[in-house]
Amino acid sequence: MIILDNISKSFNNTQAVKDISLTVNTGEIFGIVGPNGAGKTTTIKMMTGLLTPDEGNILLGKYDIVKEPIKAKSILGYVPDKAFLYEKLTAREFLIFISSIYGIPKSEALSRIDEMLELFGIKDVEDELIESFSQGMRQRLLFASALIHRPEALLIDEPFMGLDPFGVKMLKGVIKDLSSKGVTIFLATHSLHIAEELCNRVGFINKGSIISIKTRDEISEVKGGLEGLFMEIGN
Amino acid sequence: MQDAGYKIKSRIVHHVSCIVYLETMILILIKPKILSVKNSISTKVVLRRLPFIAIGLGFWFLFYIGTLKVLSYVREIIFFGEILSRKLFSMTFFSLFGFLILSSIITAISSFYLSKDTQLLLSKPVKIRDILRLKAFDAFTNSSWMVLSFMPPVFIAYGVSYGAGAGYYLMIFGCFFLFSLITAGIGIAITHILTRLFPAKRTRNVFLGIGVVLFLLLYFLIKGLIPQDISTPEGLINSIMSFKTESPILPSYWITEAVFPILKESSFNIFYPIILLGSALFFIFLSEIAGLWFYRKNIERIQPSGERVERGFFRRYYPEINTALFYKDIKTFFRDAGQWSQVIIIGALIMIYVYNFKSIPVNALSGFSFIREIMVLVNLVLSGLVLSAVSARFIYASVSLEGQAFWIIRTSPIVIRKFLWSKFLYGFIPVTTLMLVLVFLTNLAMNAGGILMYISLGTVLMLCVSVSGLGTGFGAIYPKFKYENIASVSMSLGGMAFMLIAFSVVIATLSLETWIFYVYFLKEVTGTSEKLQIATSIIGIVLINAGAFYFPMRIGEKKLREETGII
Repeated sequence: MIILDNISKSFNNTQAVKDISLTVNTGEIFGIVGPNGAGKTTTIKMMTGLLTPDEGNILLGKYDIVKEPIKAKSILGYVPDKAFLYEKLTAREFLIFISSIYGIPKSEALSRIDEMLELFGIKDVEDELIESFSQGMRQRLLFASALIHRPEALLIDEPFMGLDPFGVKMLKGVIKDLSSKGVTIFLATHSLHIAEELCNRVGFINKGSIISIKTRDEISEVKGGLEGLFMEIGN
Repeated sequence: MQDAGYKIKSRIVHHVSCIVYLETMILILIKPKILSVKNSISTKVVLRRLPFIAIGLGFWFLFYIGTLKVLSYVREIIFFGEILSRKLFSMTFFSLFGFLILSSIITAISSFYLSKDTQLLLSKPVKIRDILRLKAFDAFTNSSWMVLSFMPPVFIAYGVSYGAGAGYYLMIFGCFFLFSLITAGIGIAITHILTRLFPAKRTRNVFLGIGVVLFLLLYFLIKGLIPQDISTPEGLINSIMSFKTESPILPSYWITEAVFPILKESSFNIFYPIILLGSALFFIFLSEIAGLWFYRKNIERIQPSGERVERGFFRRYYPEINTALFYKDIKTFFRDAGQWSQVIIIGALIMIYVYNFKSIPVNALSGFSFIREIMVLVNLVLSGLVLSAVSARFIYASVSLEGQAFWIIRTSPIVIRKFLWSKFLYGFIPVTTLMLVLVFLTNLAMNAGGILMYISLGTVLMLCVSVSGLGTGFGAIYPKFKYENIASVSMSLGGMAFMLIAFSVVIATLSLETWIFYVYFLKEVTGTSEKLQIATSIIGIVLINAGAFYFPMRIGEKKLREETGII
């Protein structure tokens, strides 16, 4: 479902991502972990079309994000690490806007909006301006907007930012449920225990390169689990 | 005895360390601002901004030449020349006094109460007094930089016209700095008091409203006081002299009194510079006292609350993919005080504009040939100026309005061309409606109907299309997604450059139209040479306007498709 083929990216002569090749299968939850500045966010931004790779190709489904960006983006959901939204819209208006730009028909959109507002626990605040939302509520709204068009692939950068324990539990359930329905999930995180719990495979990235990819079974065999492995690879 | 000595010594150490603390703390707080400016300047940035700097310098030069010409004309008027020159000087500072106070209030609200670093600063072990000083520095620089950068040509023109020495330049720049500090102090003090009375987000609206009403009242009052006849030198002198700007309690009077003696090299009076210095210190101190009284409580009152928004008339409306952006922009516009409040100011300026044209005695001037046509042309030039200014506010800034939420557009299946067209329509529709109404009303006021009316409306419509395209494209080429206040986008270097280029398009178009008019009416169209001139001019008009629309839109689209700094 997601194929990264030898992608590289530099900023002002600094190599942020170096020759990453990776395949994420349909319905798989793939996690990417690594120290700050390792290249996680740059990789995700290239997959969303926000950045263009200097070299290599990215395929989402059967579409190349550079050559067919509109088709690729229409099957993609994205949750960024910083939640900048339209502050002067209400949550409902924001979801209507997103539904419109994805071309969802009105009746379907309205029922999906209600469904998403309920699912992410923001129905009570649907008519409040986003500017008054807490970080956790923004994160919930971001997820609702990323899923409103029923994407085939979901890219998430730090999924649990600002969420309370109820929110974390709910979101873990949503991610597992999406995966079971065939949605491919690619997430970047610093929360090792969550990556260990959710991901089928975890990739370790450092200085722009994938150093190692381990399955959940392989991780469980290591003493100290993912944290132990992280420290071991990091050292 | 030894104990008393120790106490005195420790007290002195305490006072000295307090002073050192205050000085170092304010420097520490200001340092990030200075470093931000320093880090944003590089050879690459300077080279990229070189065209804008050149345009700015060109404008500066024209402003200088214009002021010098006006001064030479005024000073040549027998007997009254010097009095008028002095009067113009004090009138300039009289207007600046009001303008700078209003500008200080608007920027002080942003700096003190809406700025993003306020929460961070309040959570740190920094005294409120230091935060107030930092914010005062911010408000002062933001409110006065534009005026400070536009005034030097006027000062230099006065200096050159009078052949003044270096002492004059030192005096005028020093006094103007103190003058700006006075207005900043007054503005900041009023801001704290107003925010105590209204929540910050509403204060800006309240004050903008008050400011505009005062401005209009003042204008109509002055308009009523002065004679309408300015066609003769006597009429002009009477008009200018009837402005009551020289009250000894106003800083505009003090600066005139401080500068004029040295300008004419007659004498040097230290009294008024000292008055300016004393007042500047007093008002800055007053603003700090007001801040110490109100700031902390005001900050607590402006935290965002979960206020529900009524779904209103359009609750059942669901926009299609092509109208979703437009609908979102309209909704945001009416909810964002920073955006819609600008309409009030523009509305006031337009009222004054129409009122002025109504006051022109066109019929009385009917003895001059083509006076109506000339007045229609002047009206079109002025309308072009209004169009450039309004477009900078509403069209140039429209792409930047997406702010840091622009990632939503970049990751959505939206074609950037559609996005730009939506932004174009968002600005084009209201601006064109406004301009057509404006030109229609002013032409009616001058009894310019028939073919003149059709030509003017057609020209304005064409200019609206090209300037809107130019504005949308320029806004996409130089987007500023990280801003504190949307008004700052149109005041950026890109915004200023757009305004000047847009006005150049207006002038080029109208010059060619005038040439066609001249060839058609004043020279008889007899040979192929005249026909060729007319045809070339028409082609020139079409090419200029089509180019102004097409190229910026294309380049802007390409730029937005590429990576932008905010993502």
